[in-house]
Amino acid sequence: MLLVTVGMVLATFMTRAGLLLVGERFKLSPRVEAALRFAPVCALAVLVVPEIVVQAGTVNLSLANPRLAGALAATAFFLWKRSMVGCIVVGTLVVAAFRFL
Amino acid sequence: MRVPFYRDPAWRLELRRGVRTALPAAPGVIAWGLVTGVAMVKSGLAVHWAIVISLLVYAGSAQLATLPLIAAAQPFWIVSLAAFVTNLRFVIYSASLRRWFEAYSHRRLAVLGYFTGDFTFAMFMDRVRREGEFAHRDAWFLGACGFNWVVWQVTSIVGILAATAIPSEWGLQFAGTLALLALAIPLCLEWPGLAGAAVAAPIAVLARGLPFGLGLFAGIVAGIAAAVTVDAMIARRNETVAREGDELS
Repeated sequence: MLLVTVGMVLATFMTRAGLLLVGERFKLSPRVEAALRFAPVCALAVLVVPEIVVQAGTVNLSLANPRLAGALAATAFFLWKRSMVGCIVVGTLVVAAFRFL
Repeated sequence: MRVPFYRDPAWRLELRRGVRTALPAAPGVIAWGLVTGVAMVKSGLAVHWAIVISLLVYAGSAQLATLPLIAAAQPFWIVSLAAFVTNLRFVIYSASLRRWFEAYSHRRLAVLGYFTGDFTFAMFMDRVRREGEFAHRDAWFLGACGFNWVVWQVTSIVGILAATAIPSEWGLQFAGTLALLALAIPLCLEWPGLAGAAVAAPIAVLARGLPFGLGLFAGIVAGIAAAVTVDAMIARRNETVAREGDELS
């Protein structure tokens, strides 16, 4: 368990700080820099969407999927009010409503 | 006598601004921290190891992704590799952060790197996109990340200690997903961002069976390619429109 912990610390630290620390030796081309501008939205998409559409191991794209319904309601609310907390509350409430109906 | 950087009122002001920026994300961080803490103990980690990993590793998705491997008593290098690949998106993040942090010392870079999170990265890039190279951005970044770190650690450790009492049916992890969703939506309001997300997400969904989060990484790479292509198409069209305008005038 000690080795696992040390390994995980090194692995996660390398991804986050490695390029910052040895950065001077690599120079990224302007094309790579341009590509990196769109990295955040792609990373968020791959983290968020599977959580929403995959239900118990299979893809469920119907509105009977509580998380999909919750995410759509949360998206609509966010586009309307631009509130992150509101987005979270609406989405969670919709998912909770499925449980009680 | 030289005044230490953290005594500088302007530095402190940016630190507080960073904290204020991270505030709206707190409900999501709280939910995610609780869920990660609970999941670590529920999957069989001893309470003291769960606390050590939470404090030192500080990577929610990597912590969650490696739990089944730790439970299956996989060798440490497989677990570490899984954590590394799950966290590869931070290589992409730190490459974007680097040009804004070039001026800082190695020790400060190591601290800033350790504290980087999904939320704070997106918020930082949003601010430099609007304001460029603003002063004391290390303080702002540290304020936002440090606040996130404290909220995450407190709730994660509460989750670890309360693991047996919290039912999984509360669906607390989904609140974390919703917080990330609220970060992603504004980025999708531009065509390249929307194209990137539209390509990345289905790949991640279809390739979710791949080990070690490789599906996530494949989705990110393909999504970036799509976004760059659309961005170049828009730039080329704007050029043509501008040129035709010149010819007409």
